[in-house]
Amino acid sequence: MTRHSLSLLLRNEPGALARIVVLFSSRGVDVESLSLAPAERGDLSRLDVIVDLQPGRTVVQLIKQLGRVVDVKNVVDRTHDEAIELGA
Amino acid sequence: MDTTGAGALIKALEDVGCEVIFGMPGGAILPAYDPLYDSKIRHVLVRHEQGAGHAAQGYAQATGRVGVCMATSGPGATNLVTPLADAYMDSVPIVAITGQVARSVIGTDAFQEADIRSITLPITKHSFQVHDPADIPRVIAEAFMLASSGRPGPVLVDLPKDVLATATTYTPPKLALPPRPVLSPVQIRNAAQLIGSSKRPVFYVGGGVIRSGAAQELRKLAERTGIPVVTTLMARGAFPDSHPLHLGMPGMHGTVPAVAALQRADLLIALGTRFDDRVTGLLPEFAPHAAVIHADIDPAEISKNRKADVGIVGDCRDVMAALSAVITRKTDLTEWWNYLGGLVTTYPLGYDWPADGMLAPQYVIERISKLAGPEAIYTAGVGQHQMWAAQYVRYERPGSFINSGGAGTMGFAVPAAMGAQTGAPDRTVWAIDGDGCFQMTNQELATCAAEGIPIKVAIINNGNLGMVRQWQTLFYEGRYSNTRLGTHQRHPDFVKLADALGCVGLRCEDQSEVDGTILEAMAVRDRPVVVDFVVGQDALVWPMVAAGTGNDEIMAARGIRPLFDEEE
Repeated sequence: MTRHSLSLLLRNEPGALARIVVLFSSRGVDVESLSLAPAERGDLSRLDVIVDLQPGRTVVQLIKQLGRVVDVKNVVDRTHDEAIELGA
Repeated sequence: MDTTGAGALIKALEDVGCEVIFGMPGGAILPAYDPLYDSKIRHVLVRHEQGAGHAAQGYAQATGRVGVCMATSGPGATNLVTPLADAYMDSVPIVAITGQVARSVIGTDAFQEADIRSITLPITKHSFQVHDPADIPRVIAEAFMLASSGRPGPVLVDLPKDVLATATTYTPPKLALPPRPVLSPVQIRNAAQLIGSSKRPVFYVGGGVIRSGAAQELRKLAERTGIPVVTTLMARGAFPDSHPLHLGMPGMHGTVPAVAALQRADLLIALGTRFDDRVTGLLPEFAPHAAVIHADIDPAEISKNRKADVGIVGDCRDVMAALSAVITRKTDLTEWWNYLGGLVTTYPLGYDWPADGMLAPQYVIERISKLAGPEAIYTAGVGQHQMWAAQYVRYERPGSFINSGGAGTMGFAVPAAMGAQTGAPDRTVWAIDGDGCFQMTNQELATCAAEGIPIKVAIINNGNLGMVRQWQTLFYEGRYSNTRLGTHQRHPDFVKLADALGCVGLRCEDQSEVDGTILEAMAVRDRPVVVDFVVGQDALVWPMVAAGTGNDEIMAARGIRPLFDEEE
């Protein structure tokens, strides 16, 4: 398992969160934590997640799969930023 | 224009170019059927919503346009789940329109309520539930745009009954297809360099080449480079079977030369394909010496199963046009072709006649192909007959083979043929089906009879769930648990069943009658025809790469492993 911290910008549309969560469960991604909050722009929400990936699965692949979701406007891998914030 | 939500729905469908809907009315979708009564859109009334979904898929694949199916809420909608999953796996552009209970009772377990949006989340490209009738035209336009652009796929539009019934003003939707991805010139140059320096390259062509309408570009590029071509199950017809550069289908039941080309290649040029497990076999042993160029419109496919050395995100048509523009000279592939040519000569597709004197299923399919020709459209269900339809029909043009590749949906052939024939009324459409598959969806023949959709169905009746039986023969010591269907004992009698459904029913049990029966079926133009080809039960699909083994272990026939035994 490898741990990654992702930050997504979602359109504020019904079902957008459900689609992301179902993608995690369909692709065998373990969710460690998840938080949804309004983004600066009113029609968008920010979703911060920490996920564990199965061996052999890459975060690049997951980001591309998230990018296919119509309601996802942006995905950033913050794994590295997190490490800096924690002083690691 | 003053109308209702339902009126806006039908007007919007007309405005985006929908010419036929496959569907079945019911309580929640009922308001939509009223304006449909006056519309120029044809509605084909199916007997089961699954048939509507597969018909939309067949229509989409035969025409290259978006297929539309419609169902009511609850069970009507859940019966569309299998076609949606199928369309998602095979990237087929369809739009499913479902009725939903009224907004005020959503979430109260109302009569015929099912949360179809949630149910279909993992098997749709996108979905909508419309709460304002004024949004309907925009949503329909977006649904068509999403289904057909990028990597095509299914889109669901869920419409609560009261939204359909509410008054609204119709605003014509704006149809704007998103631009195709811009190719990276660097990646094209890198790809061209790899192609130029490779000694054993192969074009590994997938269904994306058919979806993007790139068959012409493929032919041009293949002829310019002299590089061998293999076409996957979803790509049959993307490159002519008669072409000398074509080695056939790779994969679990692929030809020995096609599998060998991938295994011995130093470069795979993968176009619109996804390194599916039925093609790769055991992944670590797949094409072990090859560098990989992978072009696909879906970035998530690149390096998903096999790491690409050069990944190109783009439409296959653009990718091949760009490659054709930069590749100017043919590399010398004499040695490579000497090796492959030897395999083509030594291991052609072939079959034995059953020892019990019954019909060989492969022969029946070979004759249908010969007599119906490459201008016909062929659909298939799933199993042995599907593999033989992929192997023994000679395809010359894209869109002429429509089958359920990724999902492997039994019962696909008859409704898909119905949809294909609706979209291509001037073509002969043959559904090559199994006796197991046929019993899952044959009620749509009543639809075909009532609507004047004259498909031909060839039941390759081996009396069993043939592919499962094949695995029992090979891997379960011939313990035939629950695979005998009794169809050789006429349970049911397919000729009588065909007759009862309003079709012409024919039966053929002898080699000498095969051609005559096929021609008799093709002479019927006003009704569907069902031919019960009674074939031997012991025929096996060869070649075969057993599940969980590497492609090098491909068996040309039982016990014959040409690549495994080959000296490197």
